[in-house]
Amino acid sequence: MNDTGFGSVLRARVIFAVIIGFFCISVFQLFNMQILQGKTYTVKANENSIKPIYQVAPRGVFYDRYHRILVGNKPTFTLRIIPAQFKRELSPYIENILGMKPGYIDRILKQTQQYSPYIPRRIAKDVPFNVIAWYEENSDKLPGVDYVVETQRDYSYGVNASHMFGYTKEIPPDILRKKKDEYMMGDEIGFVGLEKTYENFLRGEKGVKYVLVDSRQKIIGNYKNGELDKPAIKGYDLILSIDKDAQMVAESAFVDKRGAVVAIEPSTGEILAFLSSPQYNLADFASVTPNEVWKKLNLDKDKPLFNRATMSIYSPGSTFKMVSALAALEEGIIDTNYRTYCGGGFQFGNRFFKCLHVHGTVDIETSIEKSCNTFYYQLALKIGIEKWSEYAKKLGFGKKTGVDISEESPGIVPTKEFYDKVFGKDRWPKGILVSLGIGQGELSVTPIQLAQYAAILANYGKTAKPHFLKGYVETKTGRYVEIKPEYFDVGISKHTFDIVRRAMYKVVNGAGTATNIRMPDIEIAGKTGTAQNPHGNDHAIFIGFAPYKNPKIAIAVIVENAGFGSVAAAPIARDIIKAYLKKDKFKMEQPRYLSKVSDFRKSKNEN
Amino acid sequence: MKIEYKLNDKFDLIIFIPVILLITIGLIAIYSSTANHPTASGNFQKQLFFVVLSLIVFFIVYSLPQQTFKKFTIPAYIFSIFLLLLVLIMGKTVYGSKSWLSFGFIGFQPSEFAKIGTILALSYWLTNNDRDINNIKDIGIALIIGFLPVILILLEPDTGTAIVFAFITLFLIYWSGISLFGLFVVLSPGIVTFMSLFGTVPFVLSLVGVIIALILFRKDIFNSTIVFVINLGASFFFDYAYKLLKPHQQKRIAAFLDPSADPLGSGYNALQAKLAIGSGGLFGKGFMQGNQTQLRFIPEQWTDFIYCVIGEEFGFIGSVIVLTLFLIIFLRLLKLSSLAKDKFGVLIIVGFLCLLFSHFVINIGMNLGLTPVIGLPLPFLSYGGSSLLTNMILLGIVLNIYRNRKLHA
Repeated sequence: MNDTGFGSVLRARVIFAVIIGFFCISVFQLFNMQILQGKTYTVKANENSIKPIYQVAPRGVFYDRYHRILVGNKPTFTLRIIPAQFKRELSPYIENILGMKPGYIDRILKQTQQYSPYIPRRIAKDVPFNVIAWYEENSDKLPGVDYVVETQRDYSYGVNASHMFGYTKEIPPDILRKKKDEYMMGDEIGFVGLEKTYENFLRGEKGVKYVLVDSRQKIIGNYKNGELDKPAIKGYDLILSIDKDAQMVAESAFVDKRGAVVAIEPSTGEILAFLSSPQYNLADFASVTPNEVWKKLNLDKDKPLFNRATMSIYSPGSTFKMVSALAALEEGIIDTNYRTYCGGGFQFGNRFFKCLHVHGTVDIETSIEKSCNTFYYQLALKIGIEKWSEYAKKLGFGKKTGVDISEESPGIVPTKEFYDKVFGKDRWPKGILVSLGIGQGELSVTPIQLAQYAAILANYGKTAKPHFLKGYVETKTGRYVEIKPEYFDVGISKHTFDIVRRAMYKVVNGAGTATNIRMPDIEIAGKTGTAQNPHGNDHAIFIGFAPYKNPKIAIAVIVENAGFGSVAAAPIARDIIKAYLKKDKFKMEQPRYLSKVSDFRKSKNEN
Repeated sequence: MKIEYKLNDKFDLIIFIPVILLITIGLIAIYSSTANHPTASGNFQKQLFFVVLSLIVFFIVYSLPQQTFKKFTIPAYIFSIFLLLLVLIMGKTVYGSKSWLSFGFIGFQPSEFAKIGTILALSYWLTNNDRDINNIKDIGIALIIGFLPVILILLEPDTGTAIVFAFITLFLIYWSGISLFGLFVVLSPGIVTFMSLFGTVPFVLSLVGVIIALILFRKDIFNSTIVFVINLGASFFFDYAYKLLKPHQQKRIAAFLDPSADPLGSGYNALQAKLAIGSGGLFGKGFMQGNQTQLRFIPEQWTDFIYCVIGEEFGFIGSVIVLTLFLIIFLRLLKLSSLAKDKFGVLIIVGFLCLLFSHFVINIGMNLGLTPVIGLPLPFLSYGGSSLLTNMILLGIVLNIYRNRKLHA
């Protein structure tokens, strides 16, 4: 080997040999594949190929705190079309029998034409049985059409609570692009509410069956005897903190009213009842939602799609007086000996701020019991904006509660900085503070914040973030996994709380504003409020908790445009409290507005 | 193989005609595999446009004065590196790798055009008069020129193209007359690393082989130790790099070592490709008649698996014709390299040969189940404008060298 120079003959020969060598190997391999084994490959290609058939997993079921079903699943027929085998001229027949508009099938096929023509497209869900019977009789004349049994949500358990559960929807293309490892075209995904928050728990695992199909996509058998097949695994069942009875009472009470209810177990933050009214009918969302339904819901001036309980902001009105009271007492600005005179209002500068009555000499407890505005006009000035907003925030206002529903508004707690920005530094009229003292002005709160505030008052400042989920049941193991609440303490002394709570007790049980809801066997403490509403009649508000000595439920009720809190809101709160605390007794009484008594009984008997 | 030059003294039809035939076969196969496809049915027209464009560019390059290429070498290389950096910063991600730059509606792959710059630059460096190819510094610089784009392309990541660049670099060094020992130093780390893929025993055996070779070369203990350490280091580095690979890339290597391990995942394409080709038989199922192709069992078949279309629809005869056309081109390029008198020109020709041959080996190999599935187009046949244009420009340069070969005689 002496020839090693640039491009030598030897080097060229090596390359020549490599080229010829690979050519020969390739030709030999081709000969082997196409001539020697050609027949085997042909048979296999004709039997081709391995095709996965996916099965949708049933979603997890929602249970209430006593393991009663709230939302279940039911089997349903879904009609599908495989574009590659479907004859377009059959479209009008199918559209006609399913009551679809002409061109509907064409539109679906067009929308999904970027996918393989062998992937079935869902044409109609929740197909009536008589259509399936018709299909079975005529299936040989309907190539490329088939149906599968799937599950869909079953909302027939007596509660609707649309804003709590939310709904699922076929995954839209933009989300599908981001999550294409987890979802496929046509999959359902939780869209709002708990269905969205707990999508990962609820959706389960899709099943897959591998089959062999021939070149015309006819299934000719299982692949590897089904060794690789995976059954669909149902999603995790969720145990919610909701009390079905309380929830049903809330829903019945709001049938033709607008507003919201949130009830919370004060020591744990568990939500017992949750309602935004008007609701939409969840059953409309169980299968494909017709466009007309969407349009109607979107155009409705009462905004049924809007979650008032977490997103709508209201003036809290007099229910906010306890914030000022707590701040003033805790900061030592006043004590229980402090008194002020109410002559029916308060003159501040050139403006007269009115009170509802002439209350005479008023101390802190009377000021809450009788809801004296005069007392709070003056108290707010004493507290000052900085301390006032500090305590408002401490009590959970001006920020999201972090409830496990993603649609939530933080509300507004105005601060010194806020007014400095609006009016210039320290140039803002102090009259603003006077209004804030009685819960009016730029202040805005959500119903869930009010309920959390009631829970804080009930439990001496120690509670947990409001939440719906108590735990879940793992499908494979059947193991119940409990979710630990996020506890917090607002850091206000028990002594201060005692004074304010005692006053709230008197609101219902003394000579206060809500004595109309007094009950002999359950001691409720609370506070009424009337929130001024620039767009119409005032909103009625009530917040409270019960039993007074050892609170098990804290609640906020807002009824829009219904006037006084004591008349419109407090009785609803009372009935919900009753439903939760005294189930047996409640069953016998049956309040007049409980329209779905039969459903209610049925569900009670199940347990 | 004595050839009379009088007929095609200025223009080498022996290479040009097979190229045109391959492009035509490619168009037929692209048409067949995309005609009934909902999103790719426009690809035939796009490819046709690029065929016309690249033919025009080819003739322009062919007619340029010969000195042009030397002048363009350094700017072309720097511009290539610039584009490769640019694509990493603002490239479009397609199938998990950032290899596309788009200007409005036109997209192209800088790694394709970098082939021209790199082949020119390496040829230029290796043929400079005072170069000693057995000097460790000169080899080092040649390796840097060649491996700078390799690293940038690995970052995209586009493993297949990076391998091609590495082949070209090593091949041009080989052709430049590196000594057997030098070749051993350059190649042995690669071999040891490759063996380490198959487990500890082959790895240790190959290291023993290296030691034996070092003893046979009778180099001093210092040099031998360095070479041994380089070998050891390379395989450990590879082991580390393997762990950095994306899971799907690791899977592909695993699927190559044991193809039946994952018939529904990484091995799926290879399995379907074999079924397509194998079922083609002697004459094939006929144009547009292949059920594997027409039922689209192989995704994006018009790119890396275009050879299956020919295998299925035109059978053994069609497949061998394609192989033969390539064989003619390769042997003709090898022949042309001995006709050009200018070393710079020779290296460009063998660089182009190496480029085409490595694409050919990897692509045909993966279609026939001989090599792992590494995404690389089959030159002149696969769908793709950047690749076709690059190959036609290089062909233009090669035929330009051929046209001007006598000026240096």
